[in-house]
Amino acid sequence: MTKELTYLNFLKQERLPHQWCPGCGNGIILKLACMAMEKMNFQQKGTVMVSGIGCSGRSAGFFDLDSVHTAHGRALPVAEGIKLANEQLNVMVISGDGDLFGIGGNHLLHASRRNTDITVICISNAIYGMTGGQCSPTTEITSKTLTTPRGNEDSPINVQALVTAHNCFYARSTTFHFNHALKCIFEALQHKGFSFVEIKSQCITNDGRRRGFKNSYEMMMSYKETYKINNSTNKLEHNEIGIIK
Amino acid sequence: MTKKLLQGNQAIALAAVKAGLNFYAGYPITPASEILHELVNQKTVKVLQMEDEIASINAIIGSSLAGAKSMTATSGPGFSLMQESIGHAHMMEIPLVIVNVQRVGPSTGMPTFPAQGDILQCKYGSHGDYFPIVFYPNSVAELYEYTFNAFNAAEESLSPVILLSDSYVSHLYETIEEVDYPVSKRTLAPLGTSNRHFTGLTHENSKPMTSDPEVHKKLIKRFEAKQKKVSRKYNDYEFIENKNSDILLIAFGALSRAAYDLKDDFSIYRPIRIFPIVEKLKEIAKKYKEIVVMEMNAGQYANEVERLLHREIKSIPILGGKIDLNEIASKLRRIKRKK
Repeated sequence: MTKELTYLNFLKQERLPHQWCPGCGNGIILKLACMAMEKMNFQQKGTVMVSGIGCSGRSAGFFDLDSVHTAHGRALPVAEGIKLANEQLNVMVISGDGDLFGIGGNHLLHASRRNTDITVICISNAIYGMTGGQCSPTTEITSKTLTTPRGNEDSPINVQALVTAHNCFYARSTTFHFNHALKCIFEALQHKGFSFVEIKSQCITNDGRRRGFKNSYEMMMSYKETYKINNSTNKLEHNEIGIIK
Repeated sequence: MTKKLLQGNQAIALAAVKAGLNFYAGYPITPASEILHELVNQKTVKVLQMEDEIASINAIIGSSLAGAKSMTATSGPGFSLMQESIGHAHMMEIPLVIVNVQRVGPSTGMPTFPAQGDILQCKYGSHGDYFPIVFYPNSVAELYEYTFNAFNAAEESLSPVILLSDSYVSHLYETIEEVDYPVSKRTLAPLGTSNRHFTGLTHENSKPMTSDPEVHKKLIKRFEAKQKKVSRKYNDYEFIENKNSDILLIAFGALSRAAYDLKDDFSIYRPIRIFPIVEKLKEIAKKYKEIVVMEMNAGQYANEVERLLHREIKSIPILGGKIDLNEIASKLRRIKRKK
């Protein structure tokens, strides 16, 4: 008998397997969130999960907690409303880069300014995956997507600068750096105030395959090659992952 | 019972507190800002000034789910921004009160002048099918009373209820009695007590079901039946019969106060619960040769009345925020002559 997977208690197991594509990073992040909650000793009672719209938006429904699947871009104000109406609750948000930085960008600016005590996990896959693979606010410059067939002409959004501008907790990790990502989420949950964890994640179906990746393993290996861990800095470089408190 | 001289917007704020308001989120807008100003001084209400109206309504969706009786107030431009989330709140069945103090539109329009241009937006503003309960009082005392009703109907129907006003009624000062109307209790268990999933997707038993038409049909039919059932408790209208008149004049809100001056010549019907439309009007209208709807828009409610009564309705649009009794009387005389 293998070790009991106690983190699974945070999921509605009758809803598994999840419906995301093979190779998607969302499942890894679901597991990370569960393990971090277990480490925090969070209970079903007293913990609330909020998500936005998109592939990542479906996350909230898998948790065996009270959860809210909000309108597109509105996870943050809903989470703030929940937290401020009942400060005893642990309120977490899982959403995507399009949801949090695109349609919901204004709310990120102000939720971090208000420093509301919520933890946001951003599944940052640099693409609008659910709608077929359009350019997102985090798509790298020159990157080819459905809507940037000649390569993206705009720079990706500087999330680190946005969140740290209000002196909030910011951490960046990837789906490859599993233990590091877990540390990021765990520390974010411990942080009092607004905390934001950006996890670079792969979408093979509507992004990677158009950019020459054979499978999601190759995409994750590219994270391994690109990103170096640096947990003791005030500013992460483009190729660094780490925690800024 | 104490008597108080109150402004319409103040009355809404004070009644909301008495009806159990715990949480308010809003964005400044003329002519609704006084509600926010009044509430920031209330110790029992958590008040948030948000970055926009979209954030405001979403914050109260969150706070209401967390167990707090919640409200926001705005005017036309903000109400337009809230539409997506109003539909979302209907889908997730969340009790909310949304106050819309109307001003002249479209767009920025005439911010300090009254209008009734958001009548259809209340009913059809969001996408998809939903069946909102909408109240439209016409005095400070009624704004006070219907704030209670809006909160109660929201709790009973588990849906966002709209309290309409206009910059005329909301900025009136009148002396009212501060009555403690009955208050409905919260039945929805707050977040953090179970494993429910609230979603805007078509769903059944907390589970998204996005490819079964039967589930969706059932859901929408249940919403419709629920809203009808709750609204039956609030079949509110005012009817001033004039036995010598064969014309029924329909008006509401600010304009209905002008209509009172015409009661010697016409019968007057004033819907207070404007949606779902009060069916009693069918019976009342039978006796009249002519039905005239006058409203401060290009004929929005007239369309709804026509749909209810299946007969031709005369519409008197009053545009631009000015209520001129002479203008109204001459338009009515023309209708009388043609008859």
